[in-house]
Amino acid sequence: MADPTRLTITELGELLREREISAAELALLHLDRIKSLDPDVQAFLRVTEEIALEQADAADKALAAGDPGPLTGIPMAVKDVLCVKGVETTAGSKILAGYRPPYTGTAVQRLFDAGAVMLGVTNCDEFAMGSSTENSSYFPTHNPWKLDRVPGGSSGGSAAAVEAGEAVFSLGTDTGGSIRQPAALCGVVGMKPTYGRVSRHGLIAFASSLDQIGPFARSVEDCALILEAMAGHDPLDSTSANRPNDVRHRINAGVEDMKLGVPREYFDVDGMEPGVKQHVEQALKMLESAGATLVDVTLPHTDYGLAAYYIIAPAECSSNLARFDGVKYGLSAQDEQNITDLYMKTRRSGFGTEVRRRVMLGTYALSSGYYDAYYLQAQKVRTLIKRDFDAAFEKCDAIVSATSPTVAFELGAKTQDPLAMYLCDVLTLGGNLAGLPGISVPCGMSGGLPVGLQVLAPQWREDVALRVARAYELASDMRVEVALV
Amino acid sequence: MLARLGLEPGDEEFYAEQLSGILGAIDRLQELETKHIPPTAQVVEVEATLREDVPRPSLSQDEVLANAPARVDGFFRVPSIQEEA
Repeated sequence: MADPTRLTITELGELLREREISAAELALLHLDRIKSLDPDVQAFLRVTEEIALEQADAADKALAAGDPGPLTGIPMAVKDVLCVKGVETTAGSKILAGYRPPYTGTAVQRLFDAGAVMLGVTNCDEFAMGSSTENSSYFPTHNPWKLDRVPGGSSGGSAAAVEAGEAVFSLGTDTGGSIRQPAALCGVVGMKPTYGRVSRHGLIAFASSLDQIGPFARSVEDCALILEAMAGHDPLDSTSANRPNDVRHRINAGVEDMKLGVPREYFDVDGMEPGVKQHVEQALKMLESAGATLVDVTLPHTDYGLAAYYIIAPAECSSNLARFDGVKYGLSAQDEQNITDLYMKTRRSGFGTEVRRRVMLGTYALSSGYYDAYYLQAQKVRTLIKRDFDAAFEKCDAIVSATSPTVAFELGAKTQDPLAMYLCDVLTLGGNLAGLPGISVPCGMSGGLPVGLQVLAPQWREDVALRVARAYELASDMRVEVALV
Repeated sequence: MLARLGLEPGDEEFYAEQLSGILGAIDRLQELETKHIPPTAQVVEVEATLREDVPRPSLSQDEVLANAPARVDGFFRVPSIQEEA
């Protein structure tokens, strides 16, 4: 039997059903791997061994009874922004130290119901604000391919855990690229669903008009399985849509009848590395030889996307983060004698530099006198960006590009330059502004580090994004290798 | 002040420099003519959905207060909000 920490959900499901391995053995193998590798990778903030063994035991019973779900016995990791009852959940922030949610969020609960086994909580940038996981208040995570490189972010711990073979799949959240970019930088598959596809009940909010929960996995099919298990209407999230759960529809149908849009703007962005461009162009050729037709499309407002995003996301976060006041949960400056000082001192010592920066920026953009020039203008530009995509999708079924203009960079390379860090998301944040589903699949190595291919599809067409990604996976014989740290 | 961030001496200069760089990059939004463009606040059309107005299980008072830094008699405890008269 191959090393189970390198297999996909589909492969492991078969081994589990045929009783060649038990869920308990599988959980222990992963817990052992975390113990031996995580001192180097630092993907996990907390390991939930007790829960893992309990859920694995339940999974083995379901398997013995011949009644397994689609994810029964599959070990997963959960980003530190998703509430799990009784498990410390901190959004990578000191301000939530010690917080144990009294309930489990819908997306995680649905995975539990499907039989998944939770190994632990993964590291991320504080409140998911960042592109390298260096903004975590606890410690940075390292890229399993080269430990002196970042894993990307903000869901860097989740991406690194899957890449290092510490978890078979994991959950992340994507507000401007926080699933797709780390998936690209770590060499795994990562998907952001359509806004409204997955309930956010139990997600610690960053920017509510942009946030979505999605999976990291080792294959496109795995990604589809996880998404299918999480998707669907939830009365507890008023933005979750009541639509058919058709994300896996015709996933193996291939791209022969498809037109794939190539936006030149996305190939000529500032900082695009030649190695990345070359691998993505090769991937496009491969899709072409698999039968797809490539068409040129244009997204003329691409250059303005970053600016609009860095108004809208901070504005929403400044409002969402107002709830962290030292009264209801988490850190609290209890020595203060009046309520304002309690707020000030708590937030002073609880929030890190990037969070403070964004709260300031957002508060400024929303303040009277600047509202029209910044926030309203950004919302109008958001309309223009949405229209760019609408027009492009009249000419093509999906849009293909690089996920990130660069491969994984060195730790510390961008921490002193917020603008340089923001530019990491230049190819992904358009998908958030327009609410589109997007997936990143590995498409080769440049200088020993993974490159990601991004596929964006129209709203509610996860099936199209997954079908294109699956076709690429087949045509290229791509297999997510587990980096041997 | 509005954001209650509790800035300390030295912070202002640090953030002012970085924020002016970021605002400089953001200012290019002003290049676009948007007089007739409607703003987008919600990018996906979701009908305003209200739940059925029926009672459902909720958290107990104890569960809600379990994470409170300070509690007293079933309430969150906070420092004084008003000066004594």
